[in-house]
This record gives sequence, structure tokens and C-alpha cells, in this order.
Amino acid sequence: MKLILERFVHNAVALLAVITILFFMFRLMPGTPLAAFINENLNADQQQAMLEQFGLDKPMWQQYFIYLGNLLQGEFGLSFFQRRSVTTILLEVLPNSLILTLTSLIIAYIFGVLAGAWLAWKRGSWIERAAVPAVLATRAAPEFWIGMVLLALLSFNAGWFPSGGASSPGLAYANNWQRIASWDYVHHLALPVLTLALYLQGLPLLLMRSNMLEVMHEEFVTMARMKGFSEWRIVIQHAARNALLPVVTAFALGVGLSMGGNVVIETVFSWPGIGRLLVQAVSVHDYPLAQGAFLMIALVLALMNFVADLLYMVLDPRVSHGRKG
Amino acid sequence: MILEVDGLQIEYATRAGAVRAVDGASFAVPEGRIVGLVGESGCGKTTAVRAIMGVLAENGRRAGGRVLFKGQPIDEATTRKHLWRDIAYVPQSAMNSLDPVYTVGSQLVEVLTRRGNASMRAARARAAELFDLVGLSESRLADYPHQFSGGMRQRAAIAMALALNPSLLLADEPVTALDVIVQRQILDMLRDLQQRLRLSMVLVTHDISVVAYLCDDVVVMYAGQVIESGPVREVLNRPRHPYTMGLRNAFPDLMSDALELVPIGGSPPDLSEPPAGCRFAPRCPFALTACETTPAFIANGALRTHVSACLRDAETDTLRTAALDPATWQRSSNYAMS
Amino acid sequence: MVERAEPIAPARTGFPLLPVLRRMAAMPLKDPFAFTGLLIYVLFVMVALLADQLAPVDPLEILFTKTGKLAANVPPGAEFWLGTTNLGRDIYAQLVHGTRSALAVGLSAAIIVSTVGTVVGLVSGYFGGAVDAVLMRIADMALSLPFLPFVIVLTGFLGADTSNIVLAVALLLWPNSARVIRSQVLTLRERAYVEAARVTGASASRILFVHIAPNILPLSFVYAAIAIGWAIITEASVSFLGFGDPDSVSWGMMLQDAFSSQALSRGQYAWFVPPGLCIILVVVAGFFISRGYEEVFMPRLRGR
Repeated sequence: MKLILERFVHNAVALLAVITILFFMFRLMPGTPLAAFINENLNADQQQAMLEQFGLDKPMWQQYFIYLGNLLQGEFGLSFFQRRSVTTILLEVLPNSLILTLTSLIIAYIFGVLAGAWLAWKRGSWIERAAVPAVLATRAAPEFWIGMVLLALLSFNAGWFPSGGASSPGLAYANNWQRIASWDYVHHLALPVLTLALYLQGLPLLLMRSNMLEVMHEEFVTMARMKGFSEWRIVIQHAARNALLPVVTAFALGVGLSMGGNVVIETVFSWPGIGRLLVQAVSVHDYPLAQGAFLMIALVLALMNFVADLLYMVLDPRVSHGRKG
Repeated sequence: MILEVDGLQIEYATRAGAVRAVDGASFAVPEGRIVGLVGESGCGKTTAVRAIMGVLAENGRRAGGRVLFKGQPIDEATTRKHLWRDIAYVPQSAMNSLDPVYTVGSQLVEVLTRRGNASMRAARARAAELFDLVGLSESRLADYPHQFSGGMRQRAAIAMALALNPSLLLADEPVTALDVIVQRQILDMLRDLQQRLRLSMVLVTHDISVVAYLCDDVVVMYAGQVIESGPVREVLNRPRHPYTMGLRNAFPDLMSDALELVPIGGSPPDLSEPPAGCRFAPRCPFALTACETTPAFIANGALRTHVSACLRDAETDTLRTAALDPATWQRSSNYAMS
Repeated sequence: MVERAEPIAPARTGFPLLPVLRRMAAMPLKDPFAFTGLLIYVLFVMVALLADQLAPVDPLEILFTKTGKLAANVPPGAEFWLGTTNLGRDIYAQLVHGTRSALAVGLSAAIIVSTVGTVVGLVSGYFGGAVDAVLMRIADMALSLPFLPFVIVLTGFLGADTSNIVLAVALLLWPNSARVIRSQVLTLRERAYVEAARVTGASASRILFVHIAPNILPLSFVYAAIAIGWAIITEASVSFLGFGDPDSVSWGMMLQDAFSSQALSRGQYAWFVPPGLCIILVVVAGFFISRGYEEVFMPRLRGR
């Protein structure tokens, strides 16, 4: 449909803008313009290869298009310090970030939706009045601080969880899937997910609560009461179903936003994900790796923005079925 | 009488204190008749009717009076078994009277299966029947509410109300938001359905021409109280309460040429501090000092007879003649604003 | 249902600014949460102003015990209320002095964000057309940049200066307020009294600043209050990751210090818990105040 195409173009253009901004930012870094891709750490062959692949001896505007072409093929260059393809490195750690983000968001949203709906039902009670500021406090706390406190309490103090990383040293697995599915991985995943979920649940909770409160005043809810439907049916089948629409789109957006925000969580827990990679790369000025990590995060953000647009179109009949009347 | 409302009082708790939106309203609906409940916005007619359905806003409650359905008292607790099966409601053409995320057909089926104990197949068949009854094409059952035009939405709302074969229909401004041609169509359809299905109806409206066109009897409300009631021809041709006289002047008749429009000056009283006497007195061109101290409303409605709450009821013929002259109202509007 | 408060139509003088300001000043008196938020702000401002009196020790000074040993990791007590870091620095002093950097970052970011956001929103909403299109495209671009990674890259490569952080935060936060203010301006533009002003020949800038802007003011405050919190958290996050200004004392730097010196495993809660609590307090205060101004602008029918 035309709408889908329009949203796709919109998000693609935004992504292109980000790529362009990044291109110029890295060119303006201290050092020679070549410094974005070449470093004395790489051996002579590698340096030559980069020179050719990215056309580093050509004029700026040509470099830009060569750069775009490379990106489309998934070529980000070579990491200065690991001396191997940035793409390979990124793909190694991407699953860890995705699993962390998705698991935390799913838990946070399930909790948030249920708690938010429940609080809306308890309108006016002292529970509601105390709960809302408490939830705001969870949104006011820096994610990494929550992580630090939990780490101190539950890992160092109580010893229930490991203090960092994604796996215990010395363990070997047949393949990636087995590693991810292992108890050891889950054990390591627990604290980061708990921290992130605690931080993230505030948004769906407050959103769901506020939507429910609005929807419960809509005319069709009053009509449902007049028809004599049970409170259960009214709240779940009608009110919640309407209130959920914005929450679902918020979830999709949350995935995109979280990928960027996870930078700090991954650092606190030494979780080997894209965020931590970005931080490390920036600290040692490994430009290709930093660029690659940043762009990967930006890509997920743009993608999830598009998914959110799609979801909204699919779930709201008012958008997907135009007026015929 | 299929419905009797006796001294009904509905209160809202607001920041400014308790407000009696309905303060002692009384009227009755004979079986098989269409009763118009008319008055300007804020007079309490919608509140009264929603209270009969037992559905009030969070801060509303019934503070007194009783409602009898077929002789049995009903209130919020006992009303549920009657809801939709015996008494149904047709809303204003509100955009949102149907859930926007479900098809209209599925919402009809929902009512038929959940409240009517029909099987899915029987419900679907009945839904098609209902649409046919109100003049909507069966293919529309698969559409969403926003895909219906205003007139079609009203037809669907009427179909929904008739789903479980109620004996009493409460229609709240069912044609107000529609254009004149569609209004006429819907009103004709309502009259037709009422006769065929032998329904009793209460038609709430602020438009007296609608009452003239469709209703058998009329109940006039003002500031939360009933001030005149009776058979519609009588009340409209020979109104006995000054407010009704003024109302009649303010609306063009559906069937005859428009009369000169004469609005009633001033506005209804603030119900958080209702006046002690007749509530219309401040705006009434015939008010005496006694009117300001003596309450004047109908405390029990019989409807076969034409009654008025006006304290000067004995002089009603003289007053009626004076009311036909626009000058009477201009003088009173000056008075009302001072 | 949400109902917009009727915008204040200009009084005889045609200047609605005073009534709006009055309503905004009165707001905390009616909303206990906003009032608490305001109190918290006032408290922190006082602490920032009186930092030298409240904690006369240099927060970065390495302290020694009476016997000449390094006063490292001293537990909280009479001498050091919150104890010392592993390098012998007074934690309480750091906390108190950290207030200054937090407020500086928060306030400067808030001022930039709300000014830019308001101006862009006003201009974009009122003039529409090409101006609107261009400004909104720029806003979209800012919104598609991943927030924290961008700040990291900027400070990592341009230098760990607090003003860089403030700049980055402001750059990425203004679109939100601009968009909302723009949509409000679009509504206000059609109001009768604005039409009347236009018909009587008032200039565009007069209409904008005399009639429309005062009604937007509460919204600007909403986003300013939110921006303070965001800026402080971002600064803390960036410092935590090691990209902060090494010479300034901030709550984020305290947390980074605690983390990298293994304070977690030593259970030195007095070191890393208070800075976090301070951040929570300031940010929550911002939330409460912004919710209060949201009420001024769009009261919700509570029916209580």
C-alpha cells in the first residue's frame, strides 16, 4: 500500500541522513582523512586493501558513494586492534545484544501492561496514588546505577548470580545455539535482564494506565455497560484491546531505543554486546569498529521505527481500512 | 404503564459540591406509546434516561425517587437482568458508541451470544436480519464502525438496540447530529419499527419539531424537573407552561413553514445552588414574586392528562396569547439579564 | 477525557502573559507533587550554592589519617560522614560538590532545549510551508540518531568536556518539544482572537509573541523540566562510561570511580548509593514539576 511505501521511504531517508552525518563526522576526526580507515596497527597489505576498498585517495564526494556502496554490502572495513573484519566482529556480538534487549522488553512490557491495567482499575485508591510516584522513581534512576546496586546485593553479597560476562570461563559448546540455550548463559543473563526490565517497565505501565483511564470514559465502554456485559468482558475485550494499541507500537520503538541505551548496562555487567563494543572502540579510537557499531545500532533503530509504523497500521482498523462510508 | 419514574433525584459530586442534575423528575410511559422527553441541554433529560439504564458516571448516584419497570422497581443493583433484553438504549450519533477495533457485525453477534444465549450460527443469522430491518446491506456487517456514515451508524445503533427484542427503547437524541433529510428517514424508520414490533419508546431531544413529528406524548423538563406533560398535540398546540410556550416559538415546525424564531433570553439556573421557587421564574415573562419562592414542578406524571406545573395555570389562556407576541419575550430577556 | 484548557484570550491590553504567568506560579500551590518537586530543586540549589560551607574539604584531595597512612576506604563515621574512596577522598564532599555540576548541566541543557524547541515550534507551526517542512525534517534526523551512542561518539572524539555533553544532549532533545509545541501552535492559529488580530493588521511577530507564545509557555516549562533530568542522567551515563570530564566532580564520575575501584565487591554502599539517590531525586522532581505544568496546560477531567 502507498502508506507502507511512504513510511519505508521516510525511515530510509532518516537512516541515510544518519549515515551521512557519521561519514562527515569521522572524516573530521583529528588526524589525516585516511585515519578513519587506516592505522599503523594494520599491516601493509591490509592498509592497501582498505585504501582500495574505500577509495581513500579519491575526492570526498566519490568516497561518499563508495562508502555507501560498501555499507550496502555490509563492509565496514577492518578493526584497527583486532585486525579483522568489523562485520564479523559485529555479527558475533549482535545476538547477545538482541537477546538482552528482547528478553528484558518482553518481561518489562508484560509486567507493565498488567500492572498498568490493574492500577487503572484501582483508580483513586491509595495504592494507585503511591504506585505512580514509585514507578516514576524507577524511570528517574540511571539504568546502570540500578545495575550496580543489584550487582552488589545479589552477586557480590549474596552470590546468587555471576558478576559479569555472558559465560563462565572454561566452558565450551558445540555451536552458538547451544551456548545461548545453556543454563550458564541464562544465569549470566539474569541480572542484566532484571536490571533492564526494572528500568523499562515504567513506560508501558504508565502508558497502559493512562490509556485505560481514557478508554474507560469512551462512549463505547458506557454502551457495553448498558448492554449488561460483565465487567471482565468490558475491561479485557473492549477497554484493554483499545488501550493496547499504543503500547504495542511503543514496544517496537523500545527495541530500537534500547539497543542504543544498552551501552551502559552492557558495561556494568561486562555483557559482550554491541554497546560495550562501541564503548571500547571509542576509548581506543578504533574508528572502523566504532563506526560499524554505531551504524548497526542506528540501523536497528530505523528498522524498528518502520516496524512500529507498520504495526500501527495493521492493528488499528481505522488506519488499515480507509473510509468507505 | 411500562415505565414509571417517580421523584427521581440524581446527584453528581463535583469540586463545587453536590449538583442535582435531576431533582424530583416524575413521568410515566404508557405501553406502546412514544414519549418525547424534551428540554434544553443541561436540563437533566439525558441523565434521567441513563439513570434508568443504571449507568451513571463515576461521581453520580441516585439520591432519591424510584423507577418502576412493568410495575417492578429497578435500580443499579437490580437493573442488570433487564439491560438490553427488556430496556435498550439508542445513543446520539456519537463516533464512539461502537468499539472501533471490532467489526459491527461481530459486536452484534457478541450481544446476541453473550446476552441472548444464541449460538454463533443463530446469532449471525439474526444479525443479518437486524440489518435488514433497519435498511442496511448485509455485506456491511464485516465493516468497521468508522466506515459507516452518520446515518448508517444510527441505523446500526438501532439494530443493536433491537437485538434482544426489548419492549422499551430509550433513544437519546438519535437524530440530532444528522442532516434534515436523513433525520426524516430515521424518524420514519423508528415510527415504522415501533408499530411493527409494538415497542414503547422514550425519545430524548432538545428539538421540539422532532417531538411534533414522531411522539404521542411529551414530557417537558427544565433544570432537572418536569414542568409540563401530556399528549403531544395538546401540549404543542395549547402549551400551559411559559417555558413550553417559549420553546415552541424557538423551533421551526418540521411540517409547516418556519415561524419567526424567538429565543428565550437568559440561561438555566446553576444547579449547584438551585433557586428556591420556580426554576424558570428568572427568565419567565409572567413571573410574580410568589413564583420565586414556591417550588413548581410535577411530582407525579400521569400523561393521559395534560398537566403543567405553572403557578399561574388558571390564567393559562391569557398567558398563551401574550406568549405569541415576540415583544413579550424581548421584555423578559431584558429582565432576565439584569 | 483530556480537554484543553481554554487559552487565555488577551485582556483589554491584549497581553495574556501576566495571567499565564500567574497561573503558572500558582500551580505548585495546588499540586502537592509539583510542590515537592519544587522543594527538592530549591534544596539542591541551596546545597550547590553553599557547597563550600557544607563540605569545606576539597572533594578531589587525597586525605591521610593521623598516622600518615592513606585514608582509603574508611567506612562512614563521625569524621567522614559517607566514608572515603579507595584513594582517600571524602565521599560526602564529592556528593555535595557534585551538585554544582549536576545543576549546571541540567539547567544549561534545559535552557537550550526549551528555547530552541519553543522557537522552532512557534516558527514551524505558525508559518508552515517550506520553513515547516525543513525544520521538521531536521527534527526527524535528530530523532533518528541513537541518543547515548551519539553522545559517546561525540565526546569520545571531540573531547571529554562537559559543554560537549550539554551540546549533544540539547541537539538530540529539542525535537520532542518542538513537535508538540508546533502542533499546539497549529491549533491556536485558528482561534478566533488570533484571526481577529490578523484582520486588524497585527504583524506576524506581534501575533506570535503576544498572543500565541504566552499560551505555549507552560509547555516550554514541561519540556525544560524533563530536559533537566535527561541531561543529568546522560551526563552521569557518559561519565560512568569513562568519557566524562576527569577534572570535574560529578555524581556520574563518583559512580564510575566506585565501579572501577571494585566498590561493589567491597560492599561500599555509602559510596555508590547516595549519588544515585541524588540523581533520582532531582529527576523525579523534574517529572513532578513537568506533570504539574501539563495540568495547567491541559487539565484532565477528573470528576472528583
